[in-house]
Formats: sequence, structure tokens, C-alpha cells
Amino acid sequence: MEAPVEDKRITIKEAVKLVPDSAHLFWGGFGFQRPPMAFAHELVRQNKQNLTIYTCGSEMELDILVGARVVSRLEMAFYAIEGIGLAPNIQRRIREGAVQIEDYSNLAMALRFLGGALGVPFMPLKSMLGTDMITKAKFRTKKAEVMTCPFSGEKVVLVPSVRPDFSIIHASRVDREGNVQIDGIKGEDVEGARAGKKVIVLAEEIVDTEFIRSQPDQTVIPNIYVTHVVECPWGSFPMMVYNYYDYDMEHVRMYYDQCKTEEGWQKYCEEYITSMNSHIEFLQKIGIERLMKHKAKKPLPY
Amino acid sequence: MKMTKRYAKPGEFTTLELMAVCGSKQIKNGEVVFIGTGLPLIAAMLAKKTHAPGARIVYEAGFIDSNAIDIALSIADSRLGYRASAAIGLIETLGLMLQGGHVDVGFVGAAQIDEYGNINTTYIGSFEKPTVRLPGSGGGNDIVSSAKRIVIIMTHEKRKMVKKLDYLTSPGFLDGPGAREKAGLRGGGPSLVVTNLCQMDFEPKTKKIRLATVHPGVSVQQVLENTSFDLIVPKDVPTTELPTHEELVLLREIDPHGIYIPRSK
Repeated sequence: MEAPVEDKRITIKEAVKLVPDSAHLFWGGFGFQRPPMAFAHELVRQNKQNLTIYTCGSEMELDILVGARVVSRLEMAFYAIEGIGLAPNIQRRIREGAVQIEDYSNLAMALRFLGGALGVPFMPLKSMLGTDMITKAKFRTKKAEVMTCPFSGEKVVLVPSVRPDFSIIHASRVDREGNVQIDGIKGEDVEGARAGKKVIVLAEEIVDTEFIRSQPDQTVIPNIYVTHVVECPWGSFPMMVYNYYDYDMEHVRMYYDQCKTEEGWQKYCEEYITSMNSHIEFLQKIGIERLMKHKAKKPLPY
Repeated sequence: MKMTKRYAKPGEFTTLELMAVCGSKQIKNGEVVFIGTGLPLIAAMLAKKTHAPGARIVYEAGFIDSNAIDIALSIADSRLGYRASAAIGLIETLGLMLQGGHVDVGFVGAAQIDEYGNINTTYIGSFEKPTVRLPGSGGGNDIVSSAKRIVIIMTHEKRKMVKKLDYLTSPGFLDGPGAREKAGLRGGGPSLVVTNLCQMDFEPKTKKIRLATVHPGVSVQQVLENTSFDLIVPKDVPTTELPTHEELVLLREIDPHGIYIPRSK
């Protein structure tokens, strides 16, 4: 007898409702690639507060979350709006003391997720040695520890593993059971997804499970790890998704310029996020013509 | 057949073009090169089109042996996937490949460096109350910790070439000879600093920064006036090798819209 296919699909609104204030989140995507932008917008719309985010490097969507005071703590390696400048809202909130960042290197963060996923309390690495990243901490009582390897006598740095309440990632494709495929680079999503106690996968497409099972070698996160799946086309826009669409730099630049002032940010937030009822409404506001202009021009992935 | 190089004259190129050419010369054919966006990306693309077609360019987000034809704005930009050999992730690039010891040369930027080539990309001002919180390490610390050689590309200003860093993000030679080894670092540390005024290397014995070449039209005095730390100045400081016409044509093909190298007026 064939087992019935489990259906993990929920809406983005339902998914965000699951996240309580003060929750700890792994945040997927890397640089301009596959950030959970639509999820960030919905977190703002539902007025979530005091979240802690763990990620390697993130950009516009984190700036939005910090600007809207959804996030108060970050453990991460890098933030900016690449190719343009420093993330304007994060800069301002740091000056106000409204957000704190504990800094690690990218490898350290990626290993912290791997450690969480592996179920071990820490991971050793050969970065950060000799620097202020080990000795200076913002809010963690213990940020990193240098130790001598008991086997080789070599110096290594230990960093604490992370087991966040939720892992949020935006993928290329998922089936309703939660088998995930990611085109292009994976950043730290493969480990980050496995580190979360609950895992919410948003994806450009929900595909039939038979499609996944016809090419199982393409699955990077099997359904065993995944709690919920959300269909979310153009869910990283105005950032990019490999093979699906390019970034809209005109929009990103407009965002950057406008967010240099608090008033400008408030205006952006209202116009593109809080006055919208849904992600679909945001896409309608961007407009089909503009979206199509950024659709990937195959065989190029952008 | 070896062609004689046709050098451009001062005035026929911009400082950024010269810096990109200087960077590209640090890449040898066949090497594994770790780079970020900005000028290093242009330098690597130029190296592949000139003396180092077999260089394998790795981007920390996961693109490996990229052959991008369009300029990327993000380290994770889909453009970098063009004819790459693999698209994996950070554990692969920064962990297995870099920390595993397979990366020959890494390129990084810096907001501040000191006389031992230690790098700050995190805080300006105090740690407790910074005037500016910069982007942070990203993969920078990992690259500088573990690559065999490091090339730093940055602008040359007094407030950037400092006696004491506001924050030590990535390790140069720390406090001198033997310090990297003592700290447990495996990579070779910084080998060259390319700025808009000059190139600087590190004196092998003391590991202190040393003037190597000055760019055309720049005097040693001018370099010293823009440097806060003590810079070793050898008796003879040659002028930086000028870019060739071929290199300039290629640079303008690589970045036709002037995204990283704006056209001179």
C-alpha cells in the first residue's frame, strides 16, 4: 500500500503567525541570493518584536527587519547593501542602541549552524585566532574560546553551536512533503535549515512530489527536517533567485537613498510593506511589466 | 612569439585602472584565487584574460571556478554562476577549500590597516560606542587567516593607515614575527597592499610594512604624508609598472558600464 503524501503547505500569513515575539531565527539566503524577503515583509506586517537572528551575511531584508524594530539582536558576519553601501536602517538603529550585533566570521557562523544540526555543542575552526572577534563581545557571556587541541596540541577556536527556534529559508522548489531543491549556490542554508527546531521553507514553486523523486540527487534538504512549506513566487524580490529572476537594482537604490533618513524609511515601509495586505499585493504594486523585465533570461541564470 | 609590451602613458589611464592591473599581476596561472566584489573582481577577470587563463576564481557564497562575463554586484550574484564548475556553499568554500589549505591567494579590502598588515572592517571609533559600525568580517577573517597569500586593496589615507586599529577584524602579522604561528594561524598572511598611491609589501625579517613602488606622479613624500604608521622606505623606490594598452582595452571591455572603474572624463 502506498503511504499518503503528507501535505505541509500553509500560507505565508499562517507561517509568520507561528513565530512568537522574542523567538530566535536562522535566516537563510546569502548576499543578494534567495533572501526570505516576503517573510520579512510579513513579519513587519504582523508587528513581531524582539527577534534574534542568526545568519552569515544578509542585506536589504535584514535592514527592513531592523528598521521596523522586529529584530533587536543579530549574531552574524556581514551586513551591507553590497555594491552601494552600509545598510542604512541598521546603521541608524545601532546608533540609537535599538539593535546589537555579535560579530563572527562567515565560516564561524556556518559552522555554528553545522554544529547545531549535528547535535554537538560547539565547533572548532582555524579562523578568528589572534583577533578582537574572540576577546570583544556585545551581549554573549561567552562568544568564542581558544583552546589547545588535546590530540595535536594545535590551537583552535571553539564557537557555540546554534539551535534556533525556527529556520527560515527561501528555496527554488519544494514539494508539499517538504523536499527542497536549491539552484545555484546554497550559502549556509543546507546547514542552517537542519539547525532549526522548526523549519519553514518558502519556495518559488511547489512541485509535484513525483518531480522531486525523478531527480532525488537534486534534493538538498529532505522532508524529514521540514515542518512547513509555503508557496511564494517572487519571494526574494527585489533581490535575486538563481534561474528565476535578477535583482531590481533601481528599486534597491531607491530603497537605499530613501532610508538614509528615518522619515524616508517610514515612507518606504508604509508604501511597500504595511499598506499592502499580502505579498501578492506587493507584487501587484511592483507590476507585472517590471517583474517580467527581471525574469531570468535562460540559459543565463539571471 | 613574445610581443614587446606597449605601455600606456600617465594620463591615459585612471588610478583605479592601475590598481586593478596591479591586483591582477598578483594572480599566477593555475592558482586558486579567493575574491570579493569590487576592484578584486575586475583584477581577477583581467588576470584570466591575460597571463592567468587557468586561474580558478572562487567566491565564498559557493561559486567555484567562475567565468563570469557580466559584472557582479553581490558575492552571491547569479552572474558569478556563468560557466562555473560548481555552485555549492560556504562550508565548501570557506571550510573545506580555504581552511583545508587549497587557496593560494585571497583579495580583501580594509577600512584600516596597521604596520603589521592587521585589518579592521568592523568598527570605527570605540567598540562600546562606535561612530560607524562597518559591515564586519564576512568571509574576510577566514580568508586572511587561511589563504597562502593575501593582497589588500584599499584607499590610502592617514585615517586608514593607522598606528593602532580601532578593532582587529582580520590578522596580519599581529604583533610581529612568529605571532601568526603562535596564534595557531595556518595561512601565510598579507603579501601586498595596493593603494591609490603605491604598493607596499612586508619586510621578511620584521614583518613590518614597506614601501615597494609608487604610482606614476606620486612622490614618496606624498605617501608618507598620507600614512600614520611608520613606513619602511628603501633607498630606491621604483615607479609602479604602467598598464599596457592591451590591459586597458580589456579592462574597459570587462567593465563597460564603469560599475567598479568609472570612466575618466
